[in-house]
Amino acid sequence: MKTDLTIVGGGAAGLAAALSAIDPQLNILIIEREPRLGGILNQCIHNGFGLHMFQEELTGPEYANRFIEALKDKHIDILLGTTVIDIQKKTDFEITLTSEANGYQHLTSKAVIIASGCYERTRGAVQIPGERPKGIMPAGSAQRYLNMEGYLVGKRVFILGSGDIGLIMARRMTLEGAQVLGVAELMPYSNGLTRNIVQCLNDFDIPLYLSHTVTDIKGKDILEQITIQQVDDKFEPIPGTEKVFEVDTLLLSIGLIPDVGLFDSLQMKKSPITKSAIVDQTLMTNVEGLFVCGNALHVHDLVDWVSKEGEKAGKTAKAYLLEQKHEEKDLKSIAPGSNIRYVVPHLIDYNHLTEPIQCAFRVTKKMAQGQFKVVQNGEVILLKKAKHIAPAEMENLIIKPEDLKSKDPIEIHLEEIV
Amino acid sequence: MKDYIVIGSGIIGALITRTLSKYQVSVLVIDKENDISSHQTIANSAIIHSGHDPKPGSLKARLCVEGNAMYDTLEHELAIPLLRTGAYVVAHNNFEEQMLQELHQRAKQNGVLGTYFLSGDEARKVEPRLSETITKVLSLPSTKVTFPWEVSIHAISNAIKNGAEFKRNAHVISIKKVEDHFVLHLKDGTTLESKHVINAAGVMSDLIARMIEENPEFEIKPRKGEYFVLDRKAVGLFNHVIYPLPTKAGKGVLIVPQTHGNILLGPTSYEISDREDESTSREGMKYIKEHLKALSNQIPFDMIIRNFAGVRATSTYEDFYIQESKTYKGFYHVAGIDSPGLTAAPAIAKYLVEEVIRIDLPMKPDFDPIHQPIPLFHTLCDVQKQIEIQKHPKHGHLVCKCEKVTEQDIINAIHSPTGNDTIKGIKKRARAGAGLCQGGYCESEVLKIIARETKVKPNEVNYYAKNTPILVKETKTK
Ligand SMILES: Cc1cc2nc3c(=O)[nH]c(=O)nc-3n(C[C@@H](O)[C@@H](O)[C@H](O)COP(=O)(O)OP(=O)(O)OC[C@H]3O[C@@H](n4cnc5c(N)ncnc54)[C@H](O)[C@@H]3O)c2cc1C
Ligand SMILES: Cc1cc2nc3c(=O)[nH]c(=O)nc-3n(C[C@H](O)[C@H](O)[C@H](O)COP(=O)(O)OP(=O)(O)OC[C@H]3O[C@@H](n4cnc5c(N)ncnc54)[C@H](O)[C@@H]3O)c2cc1C
Repeated sequence: MKTDLTIVGGGAAGLAAALSAIDPQLNILIIEREPRLGGILNQCIHNGFGLHMFQEELTGPEYANRFIEALKDKHIDILLGTTVIDIQKKTDFEITLTSEANGYQHLTSKAVIIASGCYERTRGAVQIPGERPKGIMPAGSAQRYLNMEGYLVGKRVFILGSGDIGLIMARRMTLEGAQVLGVAELMPYSNGLTRNIVQCLNDFDIPLYLSHTVTDIKGKDILEQITIQQVDDKFEPIPGTEKVFEVDTLLLSIGLIPDVGLFDSLQMKKSPITKSAIVDQTLMTNVEGLFVCGNALHVHDLVDWVSKEGEKAGKTAKAYLLEQKHEEKDLKSIAPGSNIRYVVPHLIDYNHLTEPIQCAFRVTKKMAQGQFKVVQNGEVILLKKAKHIAPAEMENLIIKPEDLKSKDPIEIHLEEIV
Repeated sequence: MKDYIVIGSGIIGALITRTLSKYQVSVLVIDKENDISSHQTIANSAIIHSGHDPKPGSLKARLCVEGNAMYDTLEHELAIPLLRTGAYVVAHNNFEEQMLQELHQRAKQNGVLGTYFLSGDEARKVEPRLSETITKVLSLPSTKVTFPWEVSIHAISNAIKNGAEFKRNAHVISIKKVEDHFVLHLKDGTTLESKHVINAAGVMSDLIARMIEENPEFEIKPRKGEYFVLDRKAVGLFNHVIYPLPTKAGKGVLIVPQTHGNILLGPTSYEISDREDESTSREGMKYIKEHLKALSNQIPFDMIIRNFAGVRATSTYEDFYIQESKTYKGFYHVAGIDSPGLTAAPAIAKYLVEEVIRIDLPMKPDFDPIHQPIPLFHTLCDVQKQIEIQKHPKHGHLVCKCEKVTEQDIINAIHSPTGNDTIKGIKKRARAGAGLCQGGYCESEVLKIIARETKVKPNEVNYYAKNTPILVKETKTK
């Protein structure tokens, strides 16, 4: 098998990438391991998707359907129930696929977009002490069991971490008759969207314990009890603040991590912060012809931004494939400055700078008001004021080519306005 | 009525069962849990120690050195993985170097072969991440690492092939001597009868002993050991087992490369009162990180995927207690088997059968020492993969991405004679869910496969023990 562009993953990112890469000269293939397209959206049956993209509130499956419908009569091949298990870069990309229907297959492709989504951080990664009974799982897994299989995983529930999936599951499980006793968040602020705090916790009188974490788990075979404790500014539990909850379920909503573990043969350069590829503004990695987008690149809180990023990757991959001769790159960094945790893209390629750069980034501190500063050679070249800045919400900033004063590295800073 | 019942399916019970299955006797191995090897044998460092540490002249010293050598045979007979890592014991100053010399003497007395010293710099050439403060290293080339519960599972599989039987959820709560045999009363109200009984109940071995005698010569003083596990992508960061100098509390906090590429960090060692308390603690985790500094300060703690703890069956007897009961003939204790119990296990089984029981029955002429497991798909070469996938298309369905486990691998793990029908049982056999995402991704698929293959409803599939369903209530929404 041979193709021009292979898109790994048919979630929001992969679908948008495919649509925007369409060109009469290009053969495009989407490979999706599930039996249907849509990715994580399929298990998000609540609404709130698409406010930016369609100015409407859609459910996850409805949102995905808009894209799936749009793909229908297009010249795009789709392989479902098929997993990409290895990608190697020779002259072209050599991809190994596996499926129950066709066994092992090999495929060559001129370019690849990885849109494989993310996985949820686990108990082990955050080292919650205590016993290891059943009843502890990532919130997304509980969501999948409930929304895809039709089963509740427990009746008395506590949630660690105020990530959006946990918040949404607090409401969802309450509506299904479970009792949610509370949500504990290590940080002094919530990690979820404000609207989710209001609609999923406040509306159901579910308490949110900020600066708290789970410090003990009891139950030999089945979860029986958890202890939460307040933490100090070094995240050490404060003795005497223990609160005990009798629960049969502890859901973890403690973060998502890009899922690119199957693609190690590619030797993508990775960022230790996002745990995924380092890309330039075209979303190309250090491997020529390899692009990454969506939650596989960095974790997004809104699907709309995932779709936009997918679109970008599709467009730039198309441009790359249609380009006669590949220009040398002139890469400089876009570095996170004060109060900024990371910026994507990490690099700017001055030799391919034709369009405005879409910067997505996260801050390290909550602020009522602040200003983002883009700095080049010590000089502020762009300033943007913002309100209600929080680590939980992804920020965006567009740098136009004409904003840049030279071909030097740039930094993005955040300053508080008091 | 059986000739032999072995209480406990840890590595000790498993290898004893296999050794007994060579003879013309009927053997049943039982365990109180829902699976083979659920305690010490699934929560240890996995090291086949060379034998440098036990007191010379003790059973521990003898059986450790013998057991270490026997693993080379087991590797082939039972198809178990054996990583020939060798080990370094490190010293940081004159005083410790002196102790290292003494340890070397002890190793030689115990019959450990091939040992030698390296300077700190020489050791760092081989293991570049060793701490700069290390001045001298004792190298123990015979140290190896295995995959402990696979040894048990394969040993019991092989014993079953040779006529033995395994029964799970068989919790012995009392034992009576009746005429010429023993009656074992189980928690579920049923009984089992056997002419001979072997107590291989790990941390519970003194409780079993007290069921038939008033004052056993040993008492278990359980000691907990906590660990971190690094993701398999840490493979190669360390290639030797790295030990500090041993102390009275044990062999200390170690760095141990594992057979699947992961690295274990730990254990702690402290006495506990509840022998089933396998919980981890904040203090324990701090202790490990603190003590690792003496070995290396280049350990990627951000690659931790799990922590766990095991409880050692340390006894007041201070050596392995492998003896016939003083009260009843035909009842044997294999007790107080703490470290190096895993290493010694094959030698313990042989010692018990040949030197304590002194079985003088004929061997089965058709005893087959070979266990041939169905290999996991990802371990096959490309040509074999193509052949297997033709025969079993479900190998085409990759279920666990982290550990590359296919649907057919899971089906095989469910249906083998020592198969299991729980989420954790499948994790122990096929490694689905043992990787980076800890099953977040594949657990729901594994659950559905188990339900389908064992013909139960999804909400009847257990996490591990009986009555531990993952799904508790069906909803209308689907
Ligand atoms: C549980 C959860 C709930 C969320 N809820 C909301 C919400 O309420 N509102 C909101 O706006 N946003 C929400 N989001 C965030 C939003 O960013 C995602 O919904 C978005 O859909 C992610 O799209 P994606 O394409 O990057 O990833 P995914 O949707 O995860 O798509 C990745 C796809 O790649 C496939 N794949 C992965 N690896 C391979 C491989 N090797 N071979 C073949 N196929 C592969 C997967 O099967 C999957 O279909 C949520 C995210 C999660 C994880
Ligand atoms: C933290 C730690 C680290 C270690 N590291 C090493 C090492 O690196 N190298 C080494 O050589 N050794 C090591 N050991 C020691 C080694 O793990 C043990 O010696 C070995 O696993 C003992 O096996 P066992 O079969 O005796 O016990 P177990 O594996 O505990 O098996 C006992 C079995 O008996 C069953 N049982 C108990 N009571 C009953 C009952 N009433 N009825 C029915 N069944 C019952 C239990 O369910 C259990 O399955 C370590 C041990 C620990 C805890």
